[in-house]
Amino acid sequence: MDGGKRAGGRPGGSAVGDHAPAHPPTRPTVGGEGLRVVGAPLRKVDAVAKVTGRTRFADDLALPRMLWCKLLRSPHAHARVRRVETSRAEELDGVAAVLTGAALPMPFGILPVSQDEHALAPDRVRFIGDAVAAVAAATEEIATAALELIEVEYEPLPVIADPEAAIAPTDTPLHDYGDAGNLHKLIHLQFGDVDAGFAAAEHVREDLYFYEGNTHLAMEQHAALADWSPDGKLTLWSSTQTPHYVHRALAKVLELPPSRIRVIATPNGGGFGGKSDPFNHEIVVAKLAMVTGRPVKIALTREEVFYCHRGRHPTLMWVKSGVTADGRLTALHFRTLLDGGGYGSYGVASTYYTGALQTVTYRVDRYRFEGARAFTNKAPCGPKRGHGTPQPRFALEVQLDKIAEDLGVDPAELRLRHLVPPASVTANWLRIGSMGLGRCIQQVVTASGWATRHARRRPGWGLGLACSSYISGAGLPIYWNDMPHSGVQLKLDRGGGVTVFCGSTDIGQGSDSILATIVAEVLGVAVADIAVVTADTDLTPVDLGSYSSRVTLMSGNAALQAAERAREILTTVVAAKLAVPAARLVCAAGRLFDAENPELGLAFADAVQLAEAKMGTVGTVGSYTPPRSPGRYRGAGVGPSPAYSYSAAVAEVEVDPETGIVVVPKIWIAHDVGQCINPVTVVGQVEGSVYMGLGEALMEEMAYRPARRLLHRIPSMLEYKSPTTLEMCDVETYLIEDPDPSGPFGAKEVGQGPLLPVPPAVANAVYAAVGVRIDEVPITPDKVLKALRQQARGGPGRTGPERFPDIPWPEPTVVPTPWEGGDGRAAGGADRSAGQRTAVGSVTPERQH
Amino acid sequence: MLPPFSYVRAQSLDEALAQLGASDTRISAGGSDLLGCLRDEVFTCSKVVSLSRLDALRGIRDDGRGGVRIGALTTIAAVASDPVINQRYPVLAQAARAVASPQLRHQGTLGGNLCQKPRCWYYRGEFHCSRKGGSTCYALAGENQFHCILGGQGCYIVHPSDTAPALVALDATVQIAGRGGTRRVPMARFHVSPRDDIRRETVLEAGEIVTAIDIPAAPRGLRSSYRKVRARGAWDFALAGVALALQFDGATVRAGRVVLSGAAPIPWRSEAVERVIIGQALTPEVAARAGDAAVEGAQPLKRNGYKVPLFRGVVREALLALAQ
Amino acid sequence: MPRPRPTADPAVITLEVNGERCAVAFAPHKTLLEVLREDLDLTGTKHGCELGECGTCTVLLDDAPVLSCLVLGLACDGRRVRTVEGMAEGARLHPLQETFADLGAAQCGYCTPGFLLTAQALLDANPRPTRDEIKAALAGNLCRCTGYLKIYEAVELAAARLRGEDAEPARETLYGRR
Repeated sequence: MDGGKRAGGRPGGSAVGDHAPAHPPTRPTVGGEGLRVVGAPLRKVDAVAKVTGRTRFADDLALPRMLWCKLLRSPHAHARVRRVETSRAEELDGVAAVLTGAALPMPFGILPVSQDEHALAPDRVRFIGDAVAAVAAATEEIATAALELIEVEYEPLPVIADPEAAIAPTDTPLHDYGDAGNLHKLIHLQFGDVDAGFAAAEHVREDLYFYEGNTHLAMEQHAALADWSPDGKLTLWSSTQTPHYVHRALAKVLELPPSRIRVIATPNGGGFGGKSDPFNHEIVVAKLAMVTGRPVKIALTREEVFYCHRGRHPTLMWVKSGVTADGRLTALHFRTLLDGGGYGSYGVASTYYTGALQTVTYRVDRYRFEGARAFTNKAPCGPKRGHGTPQPRFALEVQLDKIAEDLGVDPAELRLRHLVPPASVTANWLRIGSMGLGRCIQQVVTASGWATRHARRRPGWGLGLACSSYISGAGLPIYWNDMPHSGVQLKLDRGGGVTVFCGSTDIGQGSDSILATIVAEVLGVAVADIAVVTADTDLTPVDLGSYSSRVTLMSGNAALQAAERAREILTTVVAAKLAVPAARLVCAAGRLFDAENPELGLAFADAVQLAEAKMGTVGTVGSYTPPRSPGRYRGAGVGPSPAYSYSAAVAEVEVDPETGIVVVPKIWIAHDVGQCINPVTVVGQVEGSVYMGLGEALMEEMAYRPARRLLHRIPSMLEYKSPTTLEMCDVETYLIEDPDPSGPFGAKEVGQGPLLPVPPAVANAVYAAVGVRIDEVPITPDKVLKALRQQARGGPGRTGPERFPDIPWPEPTVVPTPWEGGDGRAAGGADRSAGQRTAVGSVTPERQH
Repeated sequence: MLPPFSYVRAQSLDEALAQLGASDTRISAGGSDLLGCLRDEVFTCSKVVSLSRLDALRGIRDDGRGGVRIGALTTIAAVASDPVINQRYPVLAQAARAVASPQLRHQGTLGGNLCQKPRCWYYRGEFHCSRKGGSTCYALAGENQFHCILGGQGCYIVHPSDTAPALVALDATVQIAGRGGTRRVPMARFHVSPRDDIRRETVLEAGEIVTAIDIPAAPRGLRSSYRKVRARGAWDFALAGVALALQFDGATVRAGRVVLSGAAPIPWRSEAVERVIIGQALTPEVAARAGDAAVEGAQPLKRNGYKVPLFRGVVREALLALAQ
Repeated sequence: MPRPRPTADPAVITLEVNGERCAVAFAPHKTLLEVLREDLDLTGTKHGCELGECGTCTVLLDDAPVLSCLVLGLACDGRRVRTVEGMAEGARLHPLQETFADLGAAQCGYCTPGFLLTAQALLDANPRPTRDEIKAALAGNLCRCTGYLKIYEAVELAAARLRGEDAEPARETLYGRR
């Protein structure tokens, strides 16, 4: 059903494929001299399938005798499930099976420390939309009718509506684990003598910020199809970003050996983090296929996708910064309170991420972070593009704008003065490699005319600047192990074709094309000669998944290694045959030839045949494991990455003081990507990130509507406002190529980082335009009008949170900084080697990341 | 997936009227609002009567007296692009262009746009609200940022149509066919306030069909416009809007109508604004007073107070723009 | 024994899909979207909400872009439908398909069929649209990947080629600015 995707050049190219870029002829010189296809704007390998409607998404699949599955979901935000009566549904004509929680008692969850979900809630529902029963029937109509025949007796329980309510001590917490009552996670880390840092400051600011929750809204709704063979083998096709983790969850909950389960991730119709958890519907259709012996499919409605959620955590933040007169951060104290919703999901990691990356852009001498995640009766939050970092980035960059004004320093200049140096280690022990933020700032400042236009503002118009950084993959895996994060196998065919096998999942970002391009570059063949087979646990070696912007760097490095090994085999046999030193052989244009005598050589296919004759079947493997991070303290697992990308953005806004409407005509953005593997897809990721950041800045919110005892969101694309063509701004995208030694050909991430500077840049520009501070997103007209009215009455002209609640923070883990002579460990032994067990996990939380 | 129903494509108006017997029979003109309501389970129906074959109800014709007759099945897109409408009645062309999305303007009809169901999220959700026969308006104590500031009583919806305020401003008349013959209702009396009947949105009786909208000849000196403020430039309904059809004599407003959208459960004719501007030139001072008048007596709910300054600004800006 | 709600007997209609006349039988309450995907196996037409709120399911009905989730299949009797599967001429892609593929206007590709058909209707009516006219015409199609910019550029390039111009993409479209 899912064959290899034959890589495509341009139709009408030469029969052997076109080595030149699809488009003539103006290719600029970039980081990697002498590269042929890396850096060329090639058509993606799946582009033609996508523009012809041939791409088979999960809901496009069908099998003979297939049943339809529907889930019965809770109408209560919090209730005990007293009884589920399914007999009338089972008797309905056309119903093949009905399941309740009793059929799937094993809990699961993406993190080993948060195994708190059930495929069907056995005794308690924790948000509106939590599933309690499932039906498999001959048609979708019958399955829907059967849901109405299932009787559920609920006992409504008190609803935890917001994180503040979750702080109060309770005898009946939402879950039987967590750090304190309904506080799922409490973190307190201190790097260096923070009090001394504040004492040394010449100016100190404290501010409060709020970042509303929002959701991915991928255009494709999740769908899954399961098939159970009488020989005891299960196959699941699913629109998932993480087939490997789905594989593990299925094995656990279904109590099957992983070797009998095959998970195939279909091309994702958008992910953005929303398809990164193992989901109950995937497990349910698998179980129903096992029970009925027939294929079972589920296609979620848009409303159900809102219940899956796992989107951006609503986050309240308190920030205290101490600076010198020239703006150096002598101390930073950051508090976050995350509204986690009903389950754990990635939440422990999300909470750490709200404190991890504050240190990688501007030098922070001493740093204290307190983070808390609350369980509430809402759809669970999780990872969305930028995972846990857009919220603190918003707070930090808006506060820096205020500090710059306080100090009378230009905001761009303030940032440029105190950049983290490349090849350094931060206060919280993150190792920085290449660091192009300075060039990014200079680029957008020049392009936007910042120097002359920022100062000379006119009423209702303004420019705002903000910067950011993001990881190119997490340095540690989700479950603790020493194995590679990504693996690639190559098969070389006698005909000259090369097949790349990799567990990575193409969610639209172009990861299949990255694999093909890197292999084509190393072996000197056309991208059109590469077939790519990905995201199939039977066929492909493990790649951990399409999350944390890890795929280009990690699977790219694995592909690079596999291809280099294949080149080694070919050059060895060809060198012997041609009596030329192997080191002098070049792989290019579909041949292996002598660099000093290009006429002397073999066609690539002939070289493969020669190798096969000499050595047997030709195949290689490659894998990638990130380097060890220097941080050794508890909590050091979140934040390390092989490489950090950098972005800077300037936003131009117009604010109508009558209506409060904010229009963003243009954003200039520069992104340090290390090296483009394919510049068209890089620009596409930047523009898409700007778009999503703009939506979060101006309109997107996962709002909940209290009504009686319910927390009810009306979940639709009409009410969830996402920008149309009429709201999207012009974008001028500048790419900074400063190859990072950790990335394949120097490449770093681009899929998430460019989102981060957009919301704070817009907020800073609104201030420049009308002089009011909107210290929360989205910046909606009512908030602007409120601040303007307040200002007109002589108030401060600010809309934003007013207080940060008292939270029972634990004692800090104190870690000396590198410049205090630290060794990456905590003072007093609270470090990773202590290996403490938490209440529910067999491993410490910091080991999952 | 829609709930099952049977489907009749009427070949004539008489057949359509004859088919509308049973209480849970629904008319489909463009079908876009009907299918959405059925999918959202706002109501059920066992039979759908399609009017799509009734070509006589489609098209825009000069009525010979300087006005036009627009067949109820004319699409919103056809209204928006019609040269006569654009020339004589810019307010209607602009309102039509502000409806929903390009695709929906191709599908939706003018008659359907006038008869569409409210967009209140409680009404569209599974709440048994007062408009659906229950005893509570959930919006009153709930999430009401998109609800009305004028004319609410027992129910606090806003009327979702953009074309209706334009047609009220133009003093149009709705032609309605029933088994007993046809009747004509002025647009200003076509929609029903919850104060008069909380269960209905229009004066249409079961078994009746809107067949046409008549717009009288544009009086001398007529200038008209529609301004709509919304969260997004497509799909979204008005947060605040104003339809203006004013007769000018030089710089002075001689007569005319001002109708607000997004303000009230029905297209809201603002005689308060009319009183301020008639007989006056639209100076910034007059426009500002008109903006204040637009929200006289407004009773904002807990979360829609922003609409008060918004309407002030929108009315002021729209008047000044029309005066130029 | 309980039974599902009664379903009316299937109805048969004849319509023209991508230039071919076909007869198809289905339950009266099915939408054109469902008929295309389930009864005609044309799964190139996607769905994002089934409430008319995203534009993903756009097809051309008698040359006008409509949301197939809000059109009853029975309303299409005797009418012409064009889907993404009918855009290419034989093995030759439509110029819009070429430029969407080359300029990265399709990322995940899920909204792409709807955008292609809406854009085709625009170019059929207006061979030389301005950027603002393109934005207005595509305002009823949501995309979450691209930020729309590459889509505008692809429509502009295809328009130029359809006018017979020998147009190439701008350098910054392919390489960004440096």
